Amino acid sequence: MSSQTADRLKFVWPPVLIALLFLGAWQLLVVVREIEPFLLPAPSLIAENFFGDLALMWETAYYTGTTAFLGLLFGTIAGLVMALLAQRFVVVNNLITPLAAGLAAVPIIALTPILNNMFSITSRTPRVLVTAIIVFFPMLVNVTRGLIQVQPVQLELMRSMNAQPRTVLRVLRIPNAIPFFFTGMKVAAPLAVIAALVAEYFGGPQQGLGSRIASSAANTAYGRAWAYVVAAIITGLVFYLIVLAVERWTTPWTGRTRSA
Amino acid sequence: MTITTSNLAVEATGVWKVFNEGQANEVTALQDVNLSVDTGEFISLIGPSGCGKSTLLRVIADLTEATRGEMKVAGHTPHEAREQQLYGMAFQQAALFEWRTVRRNVELPLELQGWDKDKRKDRAMELLDMVQLADFAEHRPWELSGGMQQRVAIARSLAVDPTILLMDEPFGALDEMTRERMQNELLRIRKETGKSIIFVTHSIPEAVYLSDRVVVMSPRPGRITDIVPVPLGDARDEDTREADEFFDAVTAVREALRGHVGGAGARAKVGEV
Amino acid sequence: MSNAATIERPAPSGASRSSGMARRMKNGGISLLWALAGVGLVVIMWELVKWLGNYIPMPFNTSDMTMPHVWTMVAAMGEPEVRGSENTVLDAVISAALRSLMLAVGGFIIGVAVGLLLAVIMQRFLFAERGLLPFVIASQTVPLIALAPLIVGIGNRIEIGPVKWTTTYSVMFIAAYLAFFPLSVGALRGLQAPSPTSLELMRSYAASPGQTTRKLRFPSSIPYLVPALKVSAAAAVVGTVVAEISTGVRGGIGRLLIEYARQITSQPAKVYVAVFGAIALGLLVAALVTALDVYLTRNLPKEKNA
Repeated sequence: MSSQTADRLKFVWPPVLIALLFLGAWQLLVVVREIEPFLLPAPSLIAENFFGDLALMWETAYYTGTTAFLGLLFGTIAGLVMALLAQRFVVVNNLITPLAAGLAAVPIIALTPILNNMFSITSRTPRVLVTAIIVFFPMLVNVTRGLIQVQPVQLELMRSMNAQPRTVLRVLRIPNAIPFFFTGMKVAAPLAVIAALVAEYFGGPQQGLGSRIASSAANTAYGRAWAYVVAAIITGLVFYLIVLAVERWTTPWTGRTRSA
Repeated sequence: MTITTSNLAVEATGVWKVFNEGQANEVTALQDVNLSVDTGEFISLIGPSGCGKSTLLRVIADLTEATRGEMKVAGHTPHEAREQQLYGMAFQQAALFEWRTVRRNVELPLELQGWDKDKRKDRAMELLDMVQLADFAEHRPWELSGGMQQRVAIARSLAVDPTILLMDEPFGALDEMTRERMQNELLRIRKETGKSIIFVTHSIPEAVYLSDRVVVMSPRPGRITDIVPVPLGDARDEDTREADEFFDAVTAVREALRGHVGGAGARAKVGEV
Repeated sequence: MSNAATIERPAPSGASRSSGMARRMKNGGISLLWALAGVGLVVIMWELVKWLGNYIPMPFNTSDMTMPHVWTMVAAMGEPEVRGSENTVLDAVISAALRSLMLAVGGFIIGVAVGLLLAVIMQRFLFAERGLLPFVIASQTVPLIALAPLIVGIGNRIEIGPVKWTTTYSVMFIAAYLAFFPLSVGALRGLQAPSPTSLELMRSYAASPGQTTRKLRFPSSIPYLVPALKVSAAAAVVGTVVAEISTGVRGGIGRLLIEYARQITSQPAKVYVAVFGAIALGLLVAALVTALDVYLTRNLPKEKNA
């Protein structure tokens, strides 16, 4: 037991040490060189702003987090449905695959102004939609891959058992796709937070993290702006960690060596 | 199960399998294959890579269709046999589903046949007992060694009580010691169940030790060149591996293989069967 | 280290690859046709929804103001950018997209260089790996782009010797920042990819660590590097555009998007041209990276058809 703890510690202390050194150096640099907060506020100033109004931080992160969550939810559902269709119908797969590959480098966030016009800019809807579209593609690509990339020998086994396509989907393809689903989620969840935040830069309601980072910076409240950045980082991390926890809980077999 | 009129487990008459027929890259995987396997018989298919032994097994299993000729499995077409679940299959890879426990892997074919939960479980435990893995029923496949995984796969292939077992190099990925243990296990299972078994392998001693007859195949085009009977009787054990009859049979198979593998000039005799 | 899985593993890709360049080109051509069919479908859907909007209430505004006809969008490309100007909207969008492309490529190159360097350091020194990797991974999961408006604030006030830091550099910096993370993780995995046997072989030759890195680790990292490069390139483009949007830096496609979005009442179709520009920019970069992929993997065995 104790050796196991020591083992874990071996992985814990280097990052902690580096983080402390980094923050210490940052603080020292700011204090000694008397760097102005607009250049780089000291960690102490950021902490002061962050903990000084925790309620506001929470409220702001909650707004953007909700947008991100809704977008993630709808985008994931759409991605799953489309992946099932792509697995079932070759035409859909042929249409979707090159499109998804081509769109990988496209800044989909650019659709925000259009959505802002089509839907009411004063609502959350356009932001949720653009987040959903951004989430849709990694989910689609990963889940489709999981549904299609089944070991050929397992397919032959199913055939030898006289299994119908629908049974193969239920018994083999869907369970096989679950680890791929989580790979997609681990990409999509942080993306959702980023999308929700950046969508706020196109105007609309002002109570989110993106809006407030921009407005604090414009009002030269740099300590506060950085505090919102910290809140954004925590939000992203929380999304990621939740996905990670659900993955560990539901698919304990991933990360193991595959059966030969 | 339907009672079949024929007492042949497999009957192949003039079976051909040609890939890409009529194209530049045409390959004759099976040329005029004729083979009869009695019910309860253990047959091994042996030969170098590309001799069509796996293709022959796959034609029997209805994983691919013969180009010409007639294939009967217990009096049915392979397709009918598959639909009636007359056979169980095992592959070189155990092909276990890693998200299922060992027991639920064995239950899979029963599940597909709509057995109810308790009966399914009883049957799976019975089979796991037979392959001596009852203690591992609730483990995950990746917690088992390669040999144990393969035993689970064999238990799974026996689950629906098939008439015939089709095995495609099931022990090919195992080390020699495990392999010999598995061979003994398979002989024991065969004795307990009386299944007809068709077994594809690369290993001459393995083929001889297990089979009643060894079917020797040769590539380009894939065809049966010899059928070597193995007069070792039914009571085989570790001592059999050191018996003179065993070595004689091994030599016979090796010479049958060499006669055709060695290429032109090595031997004039090409005994079509 | 299992949580480093956000980077694509070089698993067999879904697309079937067959040996032979001609076959590959042919497959590419077919994919292109399908993609065009997909675009056609989107156009038809757009017009259909717009037409249906006249009869059935839709959850969104289908008027010409918010959803112009596709042909209006095409026509808008040829209109003068501002009244009396000789430049058309299309000219403005193309030059903005090219400028963004330059920034993205610059950011990408810097990001790749830094990412590779960091990967090599992490591979060589266990402490560096244990200390830095958690941050590299965590940084993929946090919205670093939130820093964009602040970095520009910093950027406008720095002078390094004779070079005055401009907002352009800030955008490039952000693009590089986003591009570097996926690359360093992918490269590290690649550098650690050689099998123990290969490493022991190099050891039996008494090869120096540098030689091992050059002769063994770099070549065997390519299958890991290629997907990482793709992710990085995409991150550089998205980072550039988003940085332009969130900082309001002039000249690029991001700023143009915001400007045209404001002119929606006078020229509703204009913003769509800018969106097409952003999409074209992304497609162009994807094509460039694919070309790089083909070049880097030319000596690798092609995957068999599934």
